[in-house]
Amino acid sequence: MKLSRRKFLAASGGAFAAAVAAANLSSLTAVAESGHGDAQTGEKGEKHIASSCEMCVNKCGFYAHVVNGRIKKLNPNPHFFKSRSMLCARGNAGAEEPYNPERLKTPLVRDGERGENKWRKISYEEAFQIVAQKLAEAKTKYENRSSVAFFSSEGLQEGSFQMLAQTYGSLNTVRHPSLCLSSTIQGWSSVYGVYPDADLANAMFVVMPGANRAEALVTPDSMDFLRYRPKGQQLVVLDPRFTNTAAKADRWYPVKPATDMAFMLGMINVIINEELYNKEFVANMTEGFEDLKAHVQQYTPEWAEKECEIPASEIRWCAREFAKYAPRSVIYPGRRTSWYVDDVAFRRACAIIPALCGCWDVPGGIVPKAGVPLKTPDVMYPFYDMVEERLDVESFGEFDNNLPDDARKEAGLPLDSVAYLGEKDGSWVRFREAVLRGEPYPVKMMMVYKQNFVEAAPNRVKTLKMMEMMDFICMIDIQMSDTAYYADLVIPESTYLERWDVVHSLAGIWPIATFRQACVEPVFQTKSMFEITAGIVDEMLKIPELWDDTDEEELEYFKEDFVEAILHAPIQDYIKYQVSGYENGYERLLKEGVIYKTDQGVYGTTKNDAYRFKTRSGKIEFTNVKYPEKGLDSLPVYRRARQPKNGQFRFILGRHGWNTHTGTQNNEYLWEIQKENTLWINSKEAFKLGIKNGDKVVVKSSVGEQSLRAEVTEKIRPDCVYYAHGFGRISKGMSLVYQKGASQAAILEDYIEPISGNAAMHETFVTVSKA
Amino acid sequence: MATKKFGIVLDAKKCLNCKACTVACKFENMIHPGENEYRIWVTELELKGVYPNISQEYQPSQCQHCENTPCASVCPTKATYKSAEGVVLIDYDKCILCKACMTACPYDARYENVHLHAIDKCTFCYQRQPEGREPACVETCPTRVRVFGDLNDPESEASKVLARNHSYQLKPEKNTKPRLHYIK
Repeated sequence: MKLSRRKFLAASGGAFAAAVAAANLSSLTAVAESGHGDAQTGEKGEKHIASSCEMCVNKCGFYAHVVNGRIKKLNPNPHFFKSRSMLCARGNAGAEEPYNPERLKTPLVRDGERGENKWRKISYEEAFQIVAQKLAEAKTKYENRSSVAFFSSEGLQEGSFQMLAQTYGSLNTVRHPSLCLSSTIQGWSSVYGVYPDADLANAMFVVMPGANRAEALVTPDSMDFLRYRPKGQQLVVLDPRFTNTAAKADRWYPVKPATDMAFMLGMINVIINEELYNKEFVANMTEGFEDLKAHVQQYTPEWAEKECEIPASEIRWCAREFAKYAPRSVIYPGRRTSWYVDDVAFRRACAIIPALCGCWDVPGGIVPKAGVPLKTPDVMYPFYDMVEERLDVESFGEFDNNLPDDARKEAGLPLDSVAYLGEKDGSWVRFREAVLRGEPYPVKMMMVYKQNFVEAAPNRVKTLKMMEMMDFICMIDIQMSDTAYYADLVIPESTYLERWDVVHSLAGIWPIATFRQACVEPVFQTKSMFEITAGIVDEMLKIPELWDDTDEEELEYFKEDFVEAILHAPIQDYIKYQVSGYENGYERLLKEGVIYKTDQGVYGTTKNDAYRFKTRSGKIEFTNVKYPEKGLDSLPVYRRARQPKNGQFRFILGRHGWNTHTGTQNNEYLWEIQKENTLWINSKEAFKLGIKNGDKVVVKSSVGEQSLRAEVTEKIRPDCVYYAHGFGRISKGMSLVYQKGASQAAILEDYIEPISGNAAMHETFVTVSKA
Repeated sequence: MATKKFGIVLDAKKCLNCKACTVACKFENMIHPGENEYRIWVTELELKGVYPNISQEYQPSQCQHCENTPCASVCPTKATYKSAEGVVLIDYDKCILCKACMTACPYDARYENVHLHAIDKCTFCYQRQPEGREPACVETCPTRVRVFGDLNDPESEASKVLARNHSYQLKPEKNTKPRLHYIK
């Protein structure tokens, strides 16, 4: 008998109980490849199955209405209070995903040059054998498991992919946060120890710098900011674009890009100098107030006005109103904050304001996320001799091209050492740079799950160059994304409506946990990432060369406790174990799609004397205690960003409500809402350039150019231009958007924020001319 | 005799133009994608002002389920009719696609459904009524723009919202008496 702590399944019990939904699933029969045809599963009758959405990251709840084995519609789940009983356009359009005619239906191996779009169909078994063989080749040839990089994107099956990465033993796992929110996580955490939420349902004064909750939908925030908005709430939006959020705001400040920090520092100056701050809170809960006070004397509202082009009187008004309504006042933390090379400092300035006014962990304030505790099996992966540390770590050297030439670079701060690198996430842009350099060791193979970095990461030319250097690229996805298009082997995954996914705690003010159960059988006999991992690991175990640098006994434990007990068991056993701490947890999930401890907001968990914030000092830190050790500013210091020269525009990014990143444009129901993107350009600037609405224009940066139609509008500052993400595709497997509109990745320059490693995607200047 | 009078009260100021309603409607009513066929839609009203003093509003709309129905009056085959609850419906078998109703409708709320070989439009998701469920657009809306209910019942949420607020109807000069009420 082995160690009992490894035997987690003993607790979760035997065979998969006859679950309501699964019992209804009939045996699979072939389905017409046309996609839109009726799913001929032979199943009769109607049912409603609770599961959660994967059209974006929010995992809103729904009941799938299944008629005769085919999904008719997804309806909002009223029990799922995190998503407030709604589904957005994407959530509704998800019902199309399993039947999309351009789904990947069978594994494909490249049968021509990379990117030539010639493929040969193979079986899953063959695909698993190829992957295992290539993993073994890489390990033998380079004598370093880290020569294989594992790229993945957020989702309930990402854990299954990480199981594969851990089994192989590479430390080079590159996740999505450094293309998204790692700077805001780092910035807010450097003050509070955590990345908190803003309680929009109860706040009376809300400042949203750049966040676009009316279009970049986040549950529950996007619902709360209009639906549960308290009477009298003031919403202030800072954005160079007049977004749908700005359209709902009480005041819209078209802030000059890269200067939002000046606005925040001006507010801090007023709050401190007019003694509007919460003296008791500051004295008891915070660290470094006197230093902050001295530091912000230089940042008067009049100074800020010159930087950010928002009147000093407005900055004063904001500071006073914020303090007046405190603690029911928030600066909204935001999500996709891959903006500028000093983004962490900006987020620190944002985070300091609520701390000054005591707007912490109370209704209407900034609130730390609560979670729903779940059990996780304690898996011991083998330790291997042939592993090097991450390729993007500081000790492997700096790169000199990751900051633009301006005051921020001249300050002598660390350039791109990525002071706080995510151990599992990495820094996407720096990682690519390190691969291109090839030192101190080569990365020659890529396993990619769902991450479409060809369109998601800035500077597409460089990404394609990195891919050219690879011996082998394996992509796992549901459609032929641009990244899959350049792969050597493509393995289709089942869509979220056809598979079971493990339980995930959705932390927040209203914490719940959810999972996924199959609403229909896989339309094209595809597999989930969990099953793909199991298939590949089984093939790996047949190759002795893959296991000669580890301890034999460790390997036996691993086979028994992980391969047999987890991978070879139904995923439902894993799910049952996760929720085994809850009475009828599994049954509740099957029936309602959700478990929770309370349906009330969770506040006040940090409001006791014994609580220690997860900062060095254990308090809320105005001055960060640990930053100076890495040569970083302990307080947010404003350094002027360069601005576009005459004839140039700053290219800014944004979201809208009917597509998620690059993943949903090839869904017909969403495509009919937006068929291609357009360049937003201010009408005065367009007039100067002789550009009329609808004209074809060329947008050019230092790394590439794209052409698309112009949208001449009053809704953007004259010094910037914008177009939406996810168009101008190079994959012929996405025929609805293939070569429609323009790609962002093609023109974005690849600067990084050097503390978090986040891409800095608002630092690109472009010229615009008539095509 | 107190009969039901189904209607919708809309607060367009809450509309995000997120299109959740239009996509939900398509699935609920099996309207094919990509063919510009809509039972409901959201119009971006003209942007007001010049940068940086601008404002914009959205107007969700659909069949207004009028009490006076020009569409029914002109229909030569009586394909358009009213349900007991005042919901304007179409008998697809009777429709001969003469499109007279499309011309008569002041709200441009009808379209040709090429798959049904008939004129089609919003039915307040009439198929959901036996189960007492709200129309799909109402149910899915992230910000709850629409409230659906019996306007003859003063206790219905729709009646209460209507009573609490000033409201208006689209194109009152057409004297069609729509059952969609927009909150001012």
